[in-house]
Amino acid sequence: MVISPVLSPKPNPPGPGARPPTMKSKPLAILNSSNVQPPTAASTPGDTGRDMAEQMNDEVRKQFKTGAKLGEGTYAIVYSGHYKSDPSSLVAIKKIKVNQDYKDGIAMDAIREIKFLSELDHPNIIKLHAVFSTKDQNISLVLEHLPLGDIETLWKTHSISYSPADIKAWANMLAQAVWFCHENYVLHRDIKGNNLLIAADGTVKLADFGLARSFADPGRPMTYNVITRFYRPPELLLGARHYGGGVDVWSMGVVIAELAIREWFLPSNTDFEQLVAIYDVFGTPTEDSWPGVSQFEFYTPPDDSSVPAPANGTGPSHRATSPSQSTQSSIKRPQPLTYWRQRFPLLGEDGIDLIRGMLTLDPRKRLSAREVLEHRYWTNAPRPTKKEDLPRQGSGEEKMGEDLKRRGGEVESGRVDKVARKLDFGAMR
Amino acid sequence: MSKAASRANGASTKRLAEDGDICPVCKSSRYLNPNMRFRVNPECYHRMCESCVDRIFSHGPAACPIAGCKRTLRRARFREQTFEDLKVEREVDIRKRVARVMNKTESDFETLRDYNNYLETVEEITWNLILKIDLEATEKRLRLWEEAQKAEVESINSTVSRRLHTATDTVDPQSDTARVILKKSGVQRKALGPSSANTPEPGAMDTGLKDTGFTFAGLKKRVAPEPEKPFDPYGGWNIEPQYYTVMDDYDVDFISGAKTDVHHLAGGYDIRDFYSRALCEAFSGFGVFVEEEVIARENQASGDVGVGTQTAATVADGGKEVNMDDIF
Repeated sequence: MVISPVLSPKPNPPGPGARPPTMKSKPLAILNSSNVQPPTAASTPGDTGRDMAEQMNDEVRKQFKTGAKLGEGTYAIVYSGHYKSDPSSLVAIKKIKVNQDYKDGIAMDAIREIKFLSELDHPNIIKLHAVFSTKDQNISLVLEHLPLGDIETLWKTHSISYSPADIKAWANMLAQAVWFCHENYVLHRDIKGNNLLIAADGTVKLADFGLARSFADPGRPMTYNVITRFYRPPELLLGARHYGGGVDVWSMGVVIAELAIREWFLPSNTDFEQLVAIYDVFGTPTEDSWPGVSQFEFYTPPDDSSVPAPANGTGPSHRATSPSQSTQSSIKRPQPLTYWRQRFPLLGEDGIDLIRGMLTLDPRKRLSAREVLEHRYWTNAPRPTKKEDLPRQGSGEEKMGEDLKRRGGEVESGRVDKVARKLDFGAMR
Repeated sequence: MSKAASRANGASTKRLAEDGDICPVCKSSRYLNPNMRFRVNPECYHRMCESCVDRIFSHGPAACPIAGCKRTLRRARFREQTFEDLKVEREVDIRKRVARVMNKTESDFETLRDYNNYLETVEEITWNLILKIDLEATEKRLRLWEEAQKAEVESINSTVSRRLHTATDTVDPQSDTARVILKKSGVQRKALGPSSANTPEPGAMDTGLKDTGFTFAGLKKRVAPEPEKPFDPYGGWNIEPQYYTVMDDYDVDFISGAKTDVHHLAGGYDIRDFYSRALCEAFSGFGVFVEEEVIARENQASGDVGVGTQTAATVADGGKEVNMDDIF
């Protein structure tokens, strides 16, 4: 029998005990394939039932040793692990669960994460070491080990105190990550405090590319239902289907603002409330301040209270029940500079100018990721803290598990969320 | 409280005096004054009680009241003694003083041997001071050494601060603060002027000209730390297209609609992102270089006919064969 040495899958081995072909898991060993010597199918007589892709997958899988479980979510389980060859080189292994929605393939989030992380190599973006599949057709992503928690727990932990220079250092690492994504035509679309993990040396790394996509071609619509609500820019809340890097810049501005005030900057419970919270600070957009704003799907003219309220972002089918229009629809003025000075003393004049540039309602007037890095805030005093001198928190390994297992865009509303999940045995009696 | 215990056991008065519970100046004893505390002055290390110190030295410096000691003592320098043995007290004081001046560490020397030689010298002068051998000469050498060290540190500090000032000057020379700093640094430079006038290089100041008290073989020179580079917000990264230039606008049919569409405009869709992406994907992806191919085609036109541009390009460049058939 002549076997082609290249990738053509081998026909099922003869005999009654033939396993079913597992085509789905085959082409997954895409990373590290270059440094693994590809064994040719014909040359190894012991592996008669396995084709080359499977053998390569095994080669990758054998490099890692899975350790303790760090966290489990609906979407993935995160384990700690290390290279078998070097037990001191730690990794986090994110095992994606077989998803009910994607029975015949890989979950969208995993595809996106693999696709973009394998292309992006930057010190401020989480590194994807390898991808392999296991027998039960689960995909495991071998990610960088980032044990020091995330940016959100940093500002939430009040025992940690930090200075304007520290904020600048963290913000710069975030800005570099976003700039690098945009230079490589990747929209992250889920930038928030707990997707910014901190490595052992203090470096901030952007993680969770489950909602990322590359820049769309002109005319191709994108979904507006992305980005965790607190960080969602007004154009997405209004239902824009054609947008650019500005959406990530807005999220980045909100993250920096939260770091500076150590609380949520624009909290809300629904998408409509989110718009109201944004308008409260930045004023109601008009055709003058934001040309074309009235053409958005969920736009309501400010003074017309007879029209039903704009939908909340879950889609046109879930039209929100009309909130009290009379008070909320009148045109609001943007907050003056004194408001910013009062609320963000830690950022200084330059920092305030920067985040106001990043948090501009009209995405065309908003700074681009490159303009953000060219802002005078970074080079003026105080100089950003060196990463080894940054304040850090203790054991955050469980937190890393928490962060990596989450599904993209999932809102963690906190207490209520957890209570709802608990089984109430008291009610059974 | 061993003293209290011994007293309770009925120790003799002589024992008490030896223990020092009687002030040698006023002869008052702890029996009469339970709160009595003793003081010594590192000038001569003679003990006396606190009330004597107050009485004798409260009106300024005075001679030591102990017979045979003519030293002038000041009240401010009297202190409680740490060690019971006053010889130890004195030695510790001397060692402290020497260590403050002779403070080199192993990393300051080229070899371990040099460092050990240095330690040997330090120990020698320490014992000279303790045993009062060559007291004057040793004191002088120590003083000279201290001054030389101070001058060296100062010259380094001034170069660092000068660097700092020039850095701030270049950032914004217009602002008021910058002018103030400029003025200040001008004054500093003037102040440095006379001292550095006779020595052209601040580094070469103390090598042969001045007596530094000691010379140590293998002692490294103090060097000013490298100036910190200005902060780079890009972290050293630079992404500029190398193979093409993106223009502001391209007139192509299939994107003209998107260019004017209000949804694209208001949503923040930037058509220039599409331009640069299209060009990047067209030119940076597979190691295809149009210019080189054009040159290769011209070469080909003059020479052989019938060879594909791809191979012609690699042959013309003399470069490696580009492996185009990646199995994945």
